[in-house]
Formats: sequence, C-alpha cells, structure tokens
Amino acid sequence: MFKSQKFFRFKKKTIRVIKIMKKDYKAYLGGSIIMLILISAIFAPLIAPADPYETNVAKRLEGPSLENLLGTDSLGRDILSRLIYAARPAVLVSFGGIILSLIIGIILGLLAAYVGGILENLILFIFDVIRAFPPIILILVLLSIVGPSLLSVVVILGVTIMPRYGRVVRADTLSEKEEDFVEAARSLGAGNSRIIFKHILPNIFASVLVLSGMDMASMIMWEAGLSFLGLGLQPPLSSWGVMLQESYQYIQTAPLMIVWPALAIMLTMLGFSTFAESLRVALNPKLNQEV
Amino acid sequence: MFIYITKRLLWVIPTILTVLLILFSLSYLLPGDPADIILGPRATPEMAEELESRLGLDKPWYQSYLLYLQNIIKGDLGTSIFRDRSVLGVIAEVLPYTIVLTLAGMGLAVFNGISIGLLAANYNNSYLEKFLTLFSFITASTPTYIAGVLLIVIFSVNFNLIPSIGIGEGGTLSSLHHLIGPALALSVGWTGYIARLTRSSMLETLDQEFIQTEKSFGIPRYYILYKYALKKAIKPIIAVIGLGIGRLLGGAVFVEVIFNRPGLGRLIVDSVNERDLPLVRGGVLVAALLFVIANLIADISYAYFDPRIKQK
Repeated sequence: MFKSQKFFRFKKKTIRVIKIMKKDYKAYLGGSIIMLILISAIFAPLIAPADPYETNVAKRLEGPSLENLLGTDSLGRDILSRLIYAARPAVLVSFGGIILSLIIGIILGLLAAYVGGILENLILFIFDVIRAFPPIILILVLLSIVGPSLLSVVVILGVTIMPRYGRVVRADTLSEKEEDFVEAARSLGAGNSRIIFKHILPNIFASVLVLSGMDMASMIMWEAGLSFLGLGLQPPLSSWGVMLQESYQYIQTAPLMIVWPALAIMLTMLGFSTFAESLRVALNPKLNQEV
Repeated sequence: MFIYITKRLLWVIPTILTVLLILFSLSYLLPGDPADIILGPRATPEMAEELESRLGLDKPWYQSYLLYLQNIIKGDLGTSIFRDRSVLGVIAEVLPYTIVLTLAGMGLAVFNGISIGLLAANYNNSYLEKFLTLFSFITASTPTYIAGVLLIVIFSVNFNLIPSIGIGEGGTLSSLHHLIGPALALSVGWTGYIARLTRSSMLETLDQEFIQTEKSFGIPRYYILYKYALKKAIKPIIAVIGLGIGRLLGGAVFVEVIFNRPGLGRLIVDSVNERDLPLVRGGVLVAALLFVIANLIADISYAYFDPRIKQK
C-alpha cells in the first residue's frame, strides 16, 4: 500500500512537471536541439553524406556547394559529415563526465553528511582544494600529466566538476536527514541504506538532475575548448574542438570554415541550458522568479 | 559577519598549502624524466645532475617541498627553464594585461547586462522582453572562445574594424583599440547572466509593497524604476561580480590564445606545452591565488549584499 502511494506521488509529480514544461517554449527548443544531437551521434553513418575521414586535396577549402553542403576543410574533407560525426565524442564526453562526477559526488556527499566528523571535513577540504584552481587551468595541468585522450578528458572533466555535486548532495542530505518522514522511517526500523536509497536519494535527485543538465553543456564546452588549445581530443578525430583548432589557422582566408563548428557548439550549449532551465522551473515552481 | 570573514580567511591557508603541495608534486607526476625533457637526448649525465639539483630533485621529497615553501615565502618562484629569467619576472610582465582584460570584460558585462536586464524588466511580457530573454540565454551559453572566434570572423575579417591579434604598439588609443575584441569576447557569457539576474531581481523588487506605495503616491514611473527599484535590485548583481571575476580569469586563457595577447593564461598554456616546470608551477600558483581571492571576495560580498545566501 505504501509502495503504491509512493508510486502515485511520483507519477503525479512527473505529470505535473511535464504539464508545466509543455507550456514552455524553452523546453521545446532545448529538447529538439538535444534530440538532434543525439540522433546525429547515434545514426552518424546513416545521416552523413560523405566519409568524414576521406581526404581529397584536389578540392580543399572549397565553399558550400551542392556536393559538399557546408564546403570542405583544409584536407578536402566534407565539413557537414565531420560536424555530424563530431556529435559522438561530444555526447560521450558529456554523458561520461556527468555520470562519473555524479557517482563520485553523490558517494562523497552522502558520506560527508552521514558520517560527519573528520571524514566530513576531509571531504569538504578536497572539494575546496579542487575549487581553488580556475577549472580550465586545473584541467590543463591534469591533462599534461596523464596525456590527452578521450578517456582522460572524460575522467578529468568528471573529477573537476564533481565538487559541485558533492556539495549539493551533502547540503540536501543534511536537511533531508532531519525531516519527519526520515525520522518516521527510522522509528519503523529502517536501516541507513534503506533510508538513503528509498527516502533521501529520490528527494535530492531533482536538484542534482537540473545541475547535471547545465553541466552537460559545460562538459561539451570544456572538451571543445581543450581540443581547440590542442590539449584535448586529437586530430584526425572528428570533434567540434578539433575542427575549430584546424580551421583557426585559416580564419583570415576561409573564415566560413570555423563558423560551422562554432555554431554547432553554440547550438548544443543553448539546447542543454534552455532544457535544464525549463526543467528547473518545472521541478520547483517557487523558484520561478529567480535566475 | 566578522566571525564569518575570519573563518573564511583561516580556511584559505590549508587550501593554499595543499595547492602548493600539488604544484610541487608536479615534478614527480609529469610523465618522463624532467632532466631528459629539458635537456634533450644529447645531455651528459653531469648536465642532468646539475639540473636535478637546480630543480631540487636530488633530495627526498619532503626536504625539497620545505625548500620550495621557503623559496616561495621569500618570493622566489624559481627560474624559467627556456626563458632563462626569473619566473616572478616573467609573470609580473604579463599579469597586468590579464588583469586589465578581466576588469574590462567584467565592466562591459555589468554595463551591457544591466542595460539589457532593465529593458527586459521594463517591458515585461512583451515581444521585446521575449527576444531579450532569448538573447540573454544565447549569450549566457556562448563559450568565450566561440565568442572570440565569431567576433574575429565578423568584425576583423569581414569588416576590418578591430585588430585580431596583439596588444597594439605604444599609445593608449592603440591598446584600447586592441582591447575591444578580447574584452567583448570575454564579457559575452556574463552579459547574458547579469541580464537575467537583473531582470528577475527587478521584477521581484517591483512586486514589493513599497513600490506599490510609491506608485499610489503618484511618483513618476521612471523615477520609481531607476531611483528606488534599481537601488534595491542591484544588490544581488554586485554580489556576483566577485564570482564573475574569478570565472573571467579562466576565460581569459582562451581569449589570450585566440587574440594572441600576452597574459597569464597564455603563459600557462605555453609553459604546459613546453614543459617548463618552474613556469607552470609559478603561473598556476598565481592563477590559483587570484582565483581564491576572487572567490573570497565573492563569498564575503554575497554574505554582505544578499544575506539569504549565507543561510543556505
């Protein structure tokens, strides 16, 4: 009976959230951009008009034409196909990085809030040390230690952004721990793990979800930025950052070439941030007026 | 308030010490033997030994850490390997450019952001407001380097209005001219953020009773808007400026690389690429110190201007 009631509450909340989001143009805008990126990432070989790695030096740096809709790059590769394939590392990095930072952040946050004492201070201290560096500089230094690759970019981005989740989870857990329903569950004999998984995690999930939606955009931003500096993903891999870096040296002669990956990154960022914003408002209508 | 500030200040000390420990351990963490990387394959063992003692690598790690700390307290950050100058000198030379760039970017972001936000709040629920909101969303989610690249493509390559590289020679006018593009690129993200903050803060203030009272007294609308409402609504905006300066310091890395300007960010990127260890350590240390100070100011100004935050 308790279970069905809980399910009913969850369903009601979901329906309410969807209802609010349905009225918000930001949800449609963000949702369709995210769908577009996911579809290009999954079905890249089906959508892309050409092979993104096939070079053809005879027709390098050409402008848009019927054959190459967005033109060709310095090695004569089709820019549109490269843009579509580049959705893959973007999605991989953002989802991978977020999942990693969620896992570490939630575990450390829960530990800090539940165990307390020295461990709590130690965890908070680790968070503070990570946050003492400007993120981009910490990422640069860490990448120079482990060397640039897709995996190291994911891990380093995940670790750098993790304190955000750790702090939110800790703060929310501390306040949830004092709630009546947790007290009630405990008096009924529920153990710590049951309380955490059944009562606390579902309640703090909303704030973590919104935060991670916004951070997915930052992940893509960092990845492209790092690749642009030559320290992230490496050519010949198709990534928006790699494409920016490759076309930067032709910015005076073929300026259009750098515009495409720049627009792709901008659109992605816009999609994730508008969707996350809409979700945030829908999950917590009281916050409507705040930024 | 005083206790809060003292606590925050004391908390900074162990953080900085750990940052120093991490920077120090870089010489052990960076792949490859530092002497090999620096001297190249033709180095004799004597040269390697000489360099290792210069970098303090021949002693146990805790001894060289203490030595490192001692030197830092004395203000000695070591000597750059490839530039053959003191790290402090190299940093002191480029730091003013980064600080000017950051402050100019923040200034532009505050001015443009508040203007857009006021306009949106004034014409709430109109098409103009919808457009401005979308505009602030787009700018708020534009990465600094994208803004820089697009500004160069549009204003430098197409219209030839602003220079795309360097800091200009001599004259204030020339350096200002060279500052426009970079500062604008740096400001774009925070312009959108401040615009959104201004709008919501204004709407919240306009909803309050004292504004209703003033309205009922027949005080003119623009007077209420700019004299009474703005005075109150501006507090949360001042509170985020400290935070913004910290963020913009990070963004300056990209701007300096894209516009080919000297600065702390580009110095760090170059020294990481060259594996100039003392310069990496010194540059990152200064960047971290600036960042910590900016965050400290942010926290204190938050607590001061927007006490609701402190309670969280």
